[in-house]
Amino acid sequence: AVEDLFTSIHRHIEAGAFEQAAKVADQVLKAAPGDEDAVRCKVVAYIKADEIDKAFAAIRAAERLPIDLSYYKAYCCYRQNKLQEALELLRGQEETSAVLQLESQIFYRLGRMNDCMSSYEKLQKFKIDSMDLKINIIAALVAAG
Amino acid sequence: NPIVLDMAYNAVEFPSLENRM
Ligand SMILES: [K+]
Repeated sequence: AVEDLFTSIHRHIEAGAFEQAAKVADQVLKAAPGDEDAVRCKVVAYIKADEIDKAFAAIRAAERLPIDLSYYKAYCCYRQNKLQEALELLRGQEETSAVLQLESQIFYRLGRMNDCMSSYEKLQKFKIDSMDLKINIIAALVAAG
Repeated sequence: NPIVLDMAYNAVEFPSLENRM
């Protein structure tokens, strides 16, 4: 049953077995085509496994479904250095902390340090207490001179 | 330029499967 498959996906995720999680998500999709949770699990599992090409393929396979995968797609574009395309995908999206974090990294790679710092300023309202964030802000300040 | 940590990777999240299991 689909419930058992999702239980299996959950266990694989907990174990960090992301390729396995993606495979089981695919089984769900065979039984329940277009299942949104399964689509999301498959895409995220490939991203977590650093299989960006496979994540892209899963996103493309779901293109006709009414599921917004644009953040995942933007992240995959960023990983493949398609930075303008990544920015386009983020444009107009709600400024969640995830969107702002990705945006700041894209701006950094593009050398747009003012925009990068402005993303970090907007991130402050989320009160993220993260050493990674502090390190990235320092990197941007150093790069900005 | 210093290396920037990939915070966005951690921000990519699985959906909650609570109600699906
Ligand atoms: K970067």
